[in-house]
Amino acid sequence: MGQPVAALIRPLTLGLWGAALVLSTLSGRLDLLLRGAFHPLVGICGVALLALAVQQWLQPAAGRESVQTQRAWLFCSAMAIAVVLAPPNPSFSDLATSRSEAFNGPSQLEFVLPPSQRTLTDWVRLLRSQPDPQLYVGDPVNISGFVYTPNGGHPQLGRLTVRCCLADATPIGLPIRWPEDYKPQRDTWLSIRGQMAMETTASGARQSIVVAQQIKAIPRPAQPLEP
Amino acid sequence: MARIATIWAIFQGLLIEALPFLFIGVLIAGLARWVAPGGRWLQRLPDQPILAPLSGAALGFALPACECGNVPVARRLLAGGASMGSALGFLFAAPVLNPIVLASTWAAFPDQPWLIAARPLGALLVAVVLSGVLQQLPEGQLLERSLLAERRLSQPLAEASLLERKSGVLGTPPPPRAEPSRPSLRTVLEHSTREFLNLAVLLILGSLIAATVQTLLPRSWLLAVGGAPTLSILSLMLMAVVISVCSSVDAFLALGFAAQITPGALLAFLVLGPVVDLKLLGLFGVIMRPKAIAITAIGASVVVLLLGQWVNLWLL
Repeated sequence: MGQPVAALIRPLTLGLWGAALVLSTLSGRLDLLLRGAFHPLVGICGVALLALAVQQWLQPAAGRESVQTQRAWLFCSAMAIAVVLAPPNPSFSDLATSRSEAFNGPSQLEFVLPPSQRTLTDWVRLLRSQPDPQLYVGDPVNISGFVYTPNGGHPQLGRLTVRCCLADATPIGLPIRWPEDYKPQRDTWLSIRGQMAMETTASGARQSIVVAQQIKAIPRPAQPLEP
Repeated sequence: MARIATIWAIFQGLLIEALPFLFIGVLIAGLARWVAPGGRWLQRLPDQPILAPLSGAALGFALPACECGNVPVARRLLAGGASMGSALGFLFAAPVLNPIVLASTWAAFPDQPWLIAARPLGALLVAVVLSGVLQQLPEGQLLERSLLAERRLSQPLAEASLLERKSGVLGTPPPPRAEPSRPSLRTVLEHSTREFLNLAVLLILGSLIAATVQTLLPRSWLLAVGGAPTLSILSLMLMAVVISVCSSVDAFLALGFAAQITPGALLAFLVLGPVVDLKLLGLFGVIMRPKAIAITAIGASVVVLLLGQWVNLWLL
């Protein structure tokens, strides 16, 4: 590789990663990947990398890098381009199915919204803190989420909670009693209106279940991950 | 196809979350080079087997970052001539012994005070043991080649073995080195950008491997043995290595499955993850040789397994 071209690899790689981070921040892609608290950090890092790219372009490094290093940096550049060109599009259903259901939120609620205003996460939180299903029978339900089927179970409506990034995404879900003629498709996002009811599981335990009355397919929300 | 899309998304999540911390680490290392070019204060860090790793771990309070950001700083410590024990202590314990990680552990488990004490103590134990074991290797077999060369420039000649010396064996001793002058900002930026890009390449590879493995290996399998004392520790250790999540938030992740596992397994997850994970193993390549990385992974796993067993015996 000729000297002038080799000298460009460093600013090029820095610039491409800077652009990738800034673009991911501005385009809202980070909403699919990271918790909101990290977004400003990513944006600032992107701007700093862009500034360094300009500095390294105007003041090229004196020494010449080995061919192996140049190839590694070109690989790094290629990955930055791939990140820009191929936005993340994970299967929420795959993620939810492969992970154990859990909930990271507080076990005690300080404040409870009226039933029809509760999100799916609010409902799961409430049912974990006060699990008596009898308390909620007949309550109106208005929730949205994606369809997934827990191992060996029936299709549920779920959400992913994230503390850091998609790697630690953990599913939460509510059992749904679907209308008889309705076949829920995995990974579709649905808005469901209905009522809370009680059912007895095969093991004899009582649990709350949402009786779906109105089902509407919706696009994936702009911020699909729950804190 | 959906699975590949999921791997790609998890890869981006891991990488984009870690890159700013890596950048901060490189920035601090660059700043240290610029402010104290000779690194003489580094050479005054203790060198005793226990005190050295403890002093290195204490430096973690000055760098509240997770493990990715610690790698360039630990490399800078070693290149500046810091004692091996203090640099390794910093590398292995500082990802836990920093205010952010301790606060997040406290926030996630306020009702488990034993864990708030056991996590930093466990990290210190791992750091002391690994530092002691790794120092059984000569520096030439332990440190990555270019780091070793940089370190030799900062060390007194007597520190190098006779075979490594290129002068001073015969004849008059070499004149004492003058205090190096402060490098120009341009030189510091040149060095720091090179270091950032080299580490970014390794981080990309580590994140790719971690994303692939955790997508193909269902997490529910690892949690299936939650109640069995030894198996639960082993499975949570494997989970910590695979998930590769940053130490500042791993306590919140652990909170999600804490009720399904033994206390020893919970501690094992929180102590092993910041020292050994798939994302980090590549980054270690800029500090240690493959043999030393393997010793680190095995040594840390053995200590954490024993620690987890002891906690299970104590609490179950």
